[in-house]
Amino acid sequence: MIRGLQIYLMALKHNFAARMAYRADFIFSSLMSFVSEMFIPLITFFIYEMGSSFPGWGFYEVLLLQGIFMLSNGVARLTFFGIVSSTLGHVREGTYDLLLIKPRSTLFLSIANVFSPDSIGTIFAAVYIIRLSLDKLVWPGALSWIEFLVLFLFSLMVLFSFSLFMAGSMFKWVGNSRIYEIFDSITSFGNYPATIFSKSFRILISNVIPIALLGFFPASALLGKEIEGALSAALVCIIFLALGLCFWRFMLSKYTSAGG
Amino acid sequence: MNIMTVRDLKKQYKTYERGSSFIETLKSLVVRETIIIEALKGISFNVEDGELLGLIGPNGAGKSTTMKILTGVLYPTSGEVNIMGFTPWRQRKAYVSEIGAVFGQKSQLIWDIPPVDSFEMNRAIYAIPRQEFNKRLGLMVEILNVESVIRKPTRQLSLGERMKCEFIMAMLHAPKIVFLDEPTIGLDVVAKDRIRDFIHEMNRNGTTFILTTHDLGDIERLTKRVLVINHGELIFDDGIETLRCVAGSKKVINITTINELLELDGVPGISITSRASLFNAELVLDTSITDLNRFTHLMNESNVISDMTVKDPPIENVVKEMYSRDLHGN
Amino acid sequence: MFRKIYRYFDILKAVASATYKEWAAYRTHSMVSIFVGPVYFLVQFFIWKAVYASRGSINGFTLEQTLTYFGISALIEYLIMDFADWNLQMLIHTGKFLTFMLKPMSHVYFAFSQKIGHRILGFIFEFTPVMLIFLLVFRITIFPVRPFWALISIILGYLMRFLVDYSIGITAFWFTKTSGIRRVFLLFRDVCSGVFFPLAFLPELWQKALMLLPFQFIAYVPIRVFIGSYELGGISCSIPQIVAIQATAVTVMAIFTIVLYKIGVRRFTGVGT
Repeated sequence: MIRGLQIYLMALKHNFAARMAYRADFIFSSLMSFVSEMFIPLITFFIYEMGSSFPGWGFYEVLLLQGIFMLSNGVARLTFFGIVSSTLGHVREGTYDLLLIKPRSTLFLSIANVFSPDSIGTIFAAVYIIRLSLDKLVWPGALSWIEFLVLFLFSLMVLFSFSLFMAGSMFKWVGNSRIYEIFDSITSFGNYPATIFSKSFRILISNVIPIALLGFFPASALLGKEIEGALSAALVCIIFLALGLCFWRFMLSKYTSAGG
Repeated sequence: MNIMTVRDLKKQYKTYERGSSFIETLKSLVVRETIIIEALKGISFNVEDGELLGLIGPNGAGKSTTMKILTGVLYPTSGEVNIMGFTPWRQRKAYVSEIGAVFGQKSQLIWDIPPVDSFEMNRAIYAIPRQEFNKRLGLMVEILNVESVIRKPTRQLSLGERMKCEFIMAMLHAPKIVFLDEPTIGLDVVAKDRIRDFIHEMNRNGTTFILTTHDLGDIERLTKRVLVINHGELIFDDGIETLRCVAGSKKVINITTINELLELDGVPGISITSRASLFNAELVLDTSITDLNRFTHLMNESNVISDMTVKDPPIENVVKEMYSRDLHGN
Repeated sequence: MFRKIYRYFDILKAVASATYKEWAAYRTHSMVSIFVGPVYFLVQFFIWKAVYASRGSINGFTLEQTLTYFGISALIEYLIMDFADWNLQMLIHTGKFLTFMLKPMSHVYFAFSQKIGHRILGFIFEFTPVMLIFLLVFRITIFPVRPFWALISIILGYLMRFLVDYSIGITAFWFTKTSGIRRVFLLFRDVCSGVFFPLAFLPELWQKALMLLPFQFIAYVPIRVFIGSYELGGISCSIPQIVAIQATAVTVMAIFTIVLYKIGVRRFTGVGT
């Protein structure tokens, strides 16, 4: 366990130093993450500026939701999400074997190697937006924060599951970088209050693919809004994660048995 | 007649100190040192029409830089180059129509489609008349024996097959001069031989070749004249035989005796490279200290020789010594 | 002169054909659009339905017009998109760009020919299926009001998109890893070209600023020409007028791109990466 942590920290340090070697690009890249993340909130701003709204949600409430969605994505990309591109690259180059021959869990090693400092920009943007919104609203009580943290953890779980499905598919669907588009398009539902969707879609994003956990439920918890359906979404999330792990393991075993 | 003249070619690069420790790399985000690298310090040479010239040197010597300048892909800091009347980097488009190049590490074939489709693309780009194209393609496919592979996607080809197709790609437009940068890298012995035969054949038909390689087998088999570059300078420009002589008059001897091999240590000017057993040794003899006759005589005095072979040292050793001599300022 | 034209056409045919075959091996990549396109459209559908719940029109657009706008925008995207920026920066960073310096032609034209091959594939596997989904499943009417001008405008949008993307790729001659800048450029391009929402929805000052940039000529102008009326920053033009302006903008951009390319190549041949 200690050894595992040591390995993780060492990988982190190396990743960071490697990234620093391209200095101008790192600063710029982080800055650009920050800027590009502002896009959806900006659209939201324009919508409310025009006098329109999302039913039942004020501007800063929607902004909070989008900030949380952003934070979730940022933390995911910082830590584990890189396994998708890493698997994509490794399988395409035929170098995945280098991971397989090491005496550690392949999944753990994959994750350890994909720490991505670039996402710091996104996280800063998210924290900024969350702070900005909460300042304009009623600051949440302790219970709300606890509910939020729990649901936020579940949102990370959803993203982790997604990354497992995506990384797993890379073993078969070699080099298809458009997998990100599929991910982006599906999760884009998570950037808006679930109340704007039709009933069938709401069920879809809560109880089938729990995207509503990415922004809607954590934000609702923080805002003291009704979070009916969050519990079932959380349960679905656990099933989703289990399915993700099984899928990844299955695809890896098929890949290794085929000789890579 | 000279197809190429190179005069006092110089090339400098600017690069930045990045540092290796964590603190240094962080510091480099704000402040960094500029370093000037002199890749070429003024080299000059000529190449005759129809020659097959080798260009060798250790990594970082300036070979790639030289090749890139000669192919028009890099312009020098100073110096003159005249190839078939062109200055490569100034008249690039016109010049490259007349040359071919195979850069071993950079493929010109499209990965997912058969080589024939890539060839067709080159046909259009070089404006090769259809009849001539078909004739040349047919000829080269036959010589290289790749008829069965040119219609398969490039990614399904072995490295050797791919390399042969790269050669075809580079020579479809009948260039007068072809630049080869590590063309046999990674190939097995059979594939290497085929490629070398092909180069020989094309050279016999009048194509000039400039070859850089780390495989001294290529040099020995193909070239008669070699340029050696080290630290951006031309330290040797002459025939292969002279190259061997420059490194001193050494011979590689493998000797086997019936009795236990004795008195080797007593012979001046030898260095033993290996001993397979008590009855055998491989050694390098400096014939300027002890000539072959004397050596044989000395061996005969205390041994009964059952077998002895005498060879010239491989170019590899010769060149290695040349590099290290150069390092010590000779 | 005639021989030169013939040669360029020959190159275009050969390169487009090779590219088509190359990407045909990856048709499943193209077919991802059949899923992604309608999904994104659905998200837009819900967003704008919610937004329009409290009002009848936004800057002159009704809900139906807004949805039609998005439908057309998605379809035009499949006709005009390319990977010119990604491809060029990849060639530069791997050093493979060198192999193009060894060929007696400009890489710009090569990349342009590649796009043609690639988009023919896109027409078959992206545009057609998604159009059918929009027509038959989502029931959006998407017929150009003036087909001739719409076609010209789309072709010009196609050219402008190529030139903008290629110029972004050229920055790779100066930046070792352009992914960060690229992402912002691309986002900027998409926002300013009207892909994410009608530019007419922006505040008037922003609209006026966008009039000076090439991006609106990528998608916004073709979409408006398709719809049959053009307006930006309070200025209206007739369809032939705006298409003529678009053609001028494309010409200017072409000159800019070629100059930038020459500067980039000069740098490449100087540092030898």
